[in-house]
Parts: sequence; C-alpha cells; structure tokens
Amino acid sequence: MTMSRSIFLAIAIGLVILIADQGMAAENERAAQLAAMCASCHRLDGRDKGIPSIVGMDKPTFAEAMAAFKSGARSSSIMHAVALQLSDAEIATLAEYLAARRKESKRQ
Amino acid sequence: MTWTRRKFGGFAGASLVAALGARAARSQTKAQIVVIGGGIGGATVAKYLAISDAKLEVTLVEPKQRYTTCFFSNLYLAGVRSLETLTHDYQTLAQAYGVKVIHDAAAAIDPVARTVTLAGGGKLAYDRAVVAPGIAFKYSAIEGYDEAATQIIPHAWNAGPQTQLLRRQLEDMDDGGMFVIVAPPNPFRCPPGPYERASLVAYYFKQFKPRAKILILDAKDTFFEQDLFEDGWNRHYPGMIEWLPGQFTGGIKSVDVKTRAIRTAGSTFNASVANIIPAQMAGELAQRAGLVDQTGWCPIDPMTFESKLQPGIHVIGDATSAGDMPKSAFVANSQAKACAFAIVAATTGAEQSTPHLFNTCFTLLAPNDAVSDAINLEPQAGSIKITDIFFSQVGESDEARRQAARQADGWYAAFTHDVFG
Repeated sequence: MTMSRSIFLAIAIGLVILIADQGMAAENERAAQLAAMCASCHRLDGRDKGIPSIVGMDKPTFAEAMAAFKSGARSSSIMHAVALQLSDAEIATLAEYLAARRKESKRQ
Repeated sequence: MTWTRRKFGGFAGASLVAALGARAARSQTKAQIVVIGGGIGGATVAKYLAISDAKLEVTLVEPKQRYTTCFFSNLYLAGVRSLETLTHDYQTLAQAYGVKVIHDAAAAIDPVARTVTLAGGGKLAYDRAVVAPGIAFKYSAIEGYDEAATQIIPHAWNAGPQTQLLRRQLEDMDDGGMFVIVAPPNPFRCPPGPYERASLVAYYFKQFKPRAKILILDAKDTFFEQDLFEDGWNRHYPGMIEWLPGQFTGGIKSVDVKTRAIRTAGSTFNASVANIIPAQMAGELAQRAGLVDQTGWCPIDPMTFESKLQPGIHVIGDATSAGDMPKSAFVANSQAKACAFAIVAATTGAEQSTPHLFNTCFTLLAPNDAVSDAINLEPQAGSIKITDIFFSQVGESDEARRQAARQADGWYAAFTHDVFG
C-alpha cells in the first residue's frame, strides 16, 4: 500500500514536472517565435536607430500602441499591417515577453 | 505483482528522467540540419534553428566568407554608401549561436541517402536540409548576353564585384552619356529594384553628370509602385529618366556587347553604360537537386516550406514559388523563420502554429525620399495569399518621406542584425 502510493506519487510528480516544464518551454518558445517577427525591424537588444525600441516596454503601453495601430488611430502602414496579423492573445503574449526583456540582453 | 511493480517503477523513473533531464536526454540524439546557402534566407534559418530550444546540430554551407546585401546596393551606386557597410560575415552565427559554418559549395544532394556532397569532397548527413540557393539568370533570353558578357555589361543583381563594376562604369561615363537599364520579366528578385536603381543613379547624375540620361527598356508593360516612381522622377529628376514598356519596344532581342548596342523588335539603342538584368529562375543547385518544376522555381508547402518535390528538403527565399510572396530579402527572412519553427515543431513533436508571413520594403526615390509597402500573407488552399496590402501614396509630405528614409536606415541595421548578428 505504502509502496504503491509512493510509486503513484512519483509518477504524479514526474508527470507534473514534465508537463509544467514542457508547458513553460512551449509558451516561451511560442512567445520567442512571435517576437522573431518583430526582430525583422526592431532589435531585441534595444539598440535601435531610427526605429522605435520595443524591448523593456511596459505591457499596457505595448498593448495600447498595438491597438492604436490596428484601429488606425496611430498611422503607420507597416505597423497597421503587423497589428492586423496579430490576435489580442498574441499581442498579450508579446507584451509579456517584451516587458520581461532588458535592453542589451544576452540572447539575440 | 513483481512484474507490475517493476513496470510501474520503470515508468515512474522514466518520466522523472524525462522531466528533470529533458534537455540533456534530447541532446544525445541531436537532429542534423544542413542549410545550403548563406544569403538572407539561409543565414536567418540557420540562426533561428540554432537558438531554438530544440537543440539541433546546424551546419551552414556557403562558399563565400562574407555576404554583401543586394538590398541597399543602389545606394552604393549612388555614391551614398560604401559596399563595406553592406557586407556581413558569419562569425556571430558560428561563435554566439554554435552554427557550424563550412565555406564550401554544395555539389549535390542525395534525397534518398539524405546526404549533401561538398565541392571540396566532403559529405554531410542530414535529417532535414534547407536549400536557399537564390536566383540564377536565363542568359539565353537576350541573344549575345551570356555569363562572359557580364564582365563588360554587368547585371549587378548579386551584390559585390558586379555592383563595383557598374559603379566604375557610371563614374567613367561622360556627362551627356546614356545609361540603359534592361529590366526583366516577372517574377524576379526585388520588384522595385530596377526602378530604385534608376532613381538613385539619377541622384548621382544630377550632381555630377547633369546632362546624362537614363533609359529603362522593360520586358513588362507596367511595374511595381509605378505611380510612386513616376511621381518621384518628375519631382527629383525631371526629363532625365525615360521608361519604355515591352509593348512599345516589342521586347529586348539582342545585345552587341562590345558596342553596347541593345536591339529591340523595332530599334537599336546605343548605351554609354548598360545594365542588363536578365530573366531569372531558381538558383543552380535547386535545378540540379530536382527541386524546381516547369516554371523554373521551387514549389513548397506553404506551412513548412518543405519541397513539394523532395521530402526532407525545405526551400526558402527567392528560389521558391510561394504564391503571392514577392522575391525580397524581407520575404526570405519571414519564410526562414516559418521554416525554422516548422522544423523545430517536427523535431520536438510540438504543435505547429500557422506562420505569420509578412513583407515590407523600403524603396528610395532619393536618399531623403523613401516609400514603403507592407503586405500580410497567409497559407490558403495549398498556396500563400495576400490578406492585406498597404502602399505609400503619391503626395505625402516631404517630412513623411524623410522620416521613412530614416526608418529605412534603421531597418537596414536591425534587419541585418536579425540575420547575421
């Protein structure tokens, strides 16, 4: 009984860690893949010249800017097109990812 | 009971190993990805494969030590930028991201054995290959213009020595001379490119050879962003640039390379300096590896960029036949990311999301007058279709155009950092 419970516990912990690890890795990978689209024009180390820097931007500022580009309230044909491609959920994922990044970060 | 316990214990142990050491365990069986071609598509896909969490073994095969971008090379022809500022190497890909860079040419691909044979004799095994061969020229289309002729009349449609040759000829040309650009039929690399070249060479002439003329002999009857270009030419270089469509000339038939006489169906034009941009097809390796169809381009799956002709080989960049996607560096970069993420998904068993496909091009009418376009695309019914398209408009303010030119500069720096940095 004790034996089978501990085995069950080990399986449960193993699966929870496995799923959590894969879930976080998958979420981070998904966010990194979305940010890769931004990286064609914006540097992800924040060293932009002539193009606004987006890393380290706080979440509401980013989400509001994207909403304004999507509606056309802020004019930029390039950013209007980009905003139209992204769902609200994707914009939220990007906001989280970019806010968490610091300028001059190691990756990228 | 014993059997059951051992089986349960084994299963629990395995899942713990999988959970705690997932990355370590995975790294023991790294998938081998061989990328052939170190242009924008190839360098981007190599980088994004190497930095993914999938722990892939990425090899990039590219003969040249350094790559000069075709985009922005018209600014070099204008005398505004040096070629050095447009030249990039592979050191960051190798040193920061662990891409194994082999400076050799790929001689052949065996899609059954899944090997790439190098010109230098080596052989690379792959689980998946990505081919980014760029373009090749259809020299037979204009009689008298062959590969040897490019040393006298450059195409300058791959940046480097060809661009330098054209610049020297423009510098040596007398004021009052005529520069002829022969523009290719669709589809070709960089739809605004020939017309941006006319604009920026006119910018150079206006300062140093104000009596010079530019004649564009086009295979086509219309061209990309034509209204924006014609408006820009009238404002910046009135009377300097003349464009003759294919329906007017009856097509470009032949060239006498020595005298730079270009013959159309009805006339002969004597150029002081000529630039012939020939009709194009997928790069040579794609032709040899059985990746092209009857169109001369490489058909691909719009979700993964895997070849429709050779499973296990992906094709990206200018060589692809990718529905509505234009042949631009931005598109090559966008495709490369979609392809990298598809390979990561296939390797790790993760779910693949629909790729975000996008194109934007900055085009310079003068160094301080830029226009842009932005295109959203998505996989639809086995191909890739435009969902949104936006262009700059005639009549925008000078300040808006100056700002776009500054953005173009910033974009170049960020984009080449994304690819090579």
